[in-house]
Amino acid sequence: MRVASLARRELLTLFVSPVAWTITFVFLLVMGMTFHLSLLSVGGDLQQLVPAIYSGYVFWFMMLIFPPLISMRTLAEERRTGSLEMLVTTGIADATVITAKWISTWIFFMFLWLCMLPMWLLLDGVGQVDFGVLLSAHLGIALVGAGFCAAGILASCLTSHPLASAGLAMAINLVLFLVEWLRFLYEPGDLQLRWIEHFSAVHHIGAEMTRGIVDLRVPIWWVSFTILVLFIATKVLERRRW
Amino acid sequence: MIEVENLSRSYGSRKALDSISFQVPSGSVTGFLGPNGAGKTTTLRVLTSWLLPDPGTEKVMVCGVDLLREPRLACRKVGALLEQLPLPGELRVCEFLHSRARLKGISGSQISAEIQRVLEDVDAVDASRRGIGTLSQGYRQRIGLADALLGDPPVLLLDEPTRGLDPRQVALFRELVDRLRHQHTIILSSHVLGEVEQICDRVCMISAGKICLDEDRAAWTRRLEISGTTRVEVVDGSDDVAVGLATLAGVSEVVTDGSGWILQGDRDLRRSIGELARQKEWVLSELSTDPATLESLFLQLTHPGGES
Repeated sequence: MRVASLARRELLTLFVSPVAWTITFVFLLVMGMTFHLSLLSVGGDLQQLVPAIYSGYVFWFMMLIFPPLISMRTLAEERRTGSLEMLVTTGIADATVITAKWISTWIFFMFLWLCMLPMWLLLDGVGQVDFGVLLSAHLGIALVGAGFCAAGILASCLTSHPLASAGLAMAINLVLFLVEWLRFLYEPGDLQLRWIEHFSAVHHIGAEMTRGIVDLRVPIWWVSFTILVLFIATKVLERRRW
Repeated sequence: MIEVENLSRSYGSRKALDSISFQVPSGSVTGFLGPNGAGKTTTLRVLTSWLLPDPGTEKVMVCGVDLLREPRLACRKVGALLEQLPLPGELRVCEFLHSRARLKGISGSQISAEIQRVLEDVDAVDASRRGIGTLSQGYRQRIGLADALLGDPPVLLLDEPTRGLDPRQVALFRELVDRLRHQHTIILSSHVLGEVEQICDRVCMISAGKICLDEDRAAWTRRLEISGTTRVEVVDGSDDVAVGLATLAGVSEVVTDGSGWILQGDRDLRRSIGELARQKEWVLSELSTDPATLESLFLQLTHPGGES
């Protein structure tokens, strides 16, 4: 109950400030243009539209930038202003604080992607959109986004400067993004390095989920990664009491 | 009731609290005094469970709950008005208090009534629908206090509650604390000694991480009286008067101000001066005491070489 209360308060605080609406505006502007250009590039082949949008450079730019931007203030700002102390004096557990902050960040992140739904519905009116593939792609975004948001929360615990927090979170996310590139250092098709795919956000979304393939190992990896990072963030938050 | 025994807290190698012990009786208002960096806020932060005490701390009990074993349960017994009052300016007062009430575990059906109660307690019902960002400093302090009162905690910690308030707001705030004293045990950390002198039943002074005074009103008033000066004026008095006064037990210094003599002593000297005057057949035209102030006591006890 306390997690839900705190997450609700976080979202309320976010949405009554111009920050959330500015982020939403920028996101929709960029993704709207990407949607339009991708539609032109696939030449009306709607089957190719989902992979074209959700595995391009702009998509990954958004994935790497937005979770840190949303999460950078969550704890860094609270610690700087002293409101974290006020929060903890209610007797709330550190794990509850971390979980609630992560939930609110993730919900807002998913809200951004949900804002694109009208574009797809509009397109479905003139063609045949494969909503199964679209759902699979969004499951991938939800999973990778959960991990990226958790990294953002951890970074926000480590510093009291929001911009430093955002930079640190982007660095962590970039590692998860670039892990795919390790494979290119070797011969393509080298089966010895295929295990890298299991940790690659690019592979999970680009090669599998935007094509409607859902491998159970992918959710297990991202859920485990998210829980691990949130656990570390809780320990970092607890450390301030020592 | 708060009981603290041998509480220590360090920041790295620096000891902010060095084995301090004190008790705050139920229903009392205790003034927590000390220079900046003395350890007042650290003590309050331990009592709100924001900071953990160092290992070796023997006892920190808040209303019968062992804070060392059950910190979260203990801090639910405490309502805190923090020195830095970081209220979210973008929320309305009722929205803020609603979310705080939920976090404090107040059930949904009781929240509205509880918010109404605390706003009435702090005389801020009219601010309920206002944005926190538009409130004056006085109202912000009241909303902070309303937050501390949510859930009716038995202990209230007020850290510099009148900082930034104008004299009228200070007077109103003092009245507010006076009303709350009957239902809560209050610790008031302040630099305003006059305020502490007026409001508090008990004073706890801390300097360089150690308690240097922990007394109730009767004891500290007595201490102020005996730490003061006594003025004596004798009709046709000569230098013999000064010599005679200096021989009295407890007198540490006798100086003249031209028309009379001022005695510094460690006790109430009036009775012995009266007896000496009778023996010497002096005609006293004045015998008065000028008690020390809490400020002079504070300066005496908290200066680097002060008594501890």
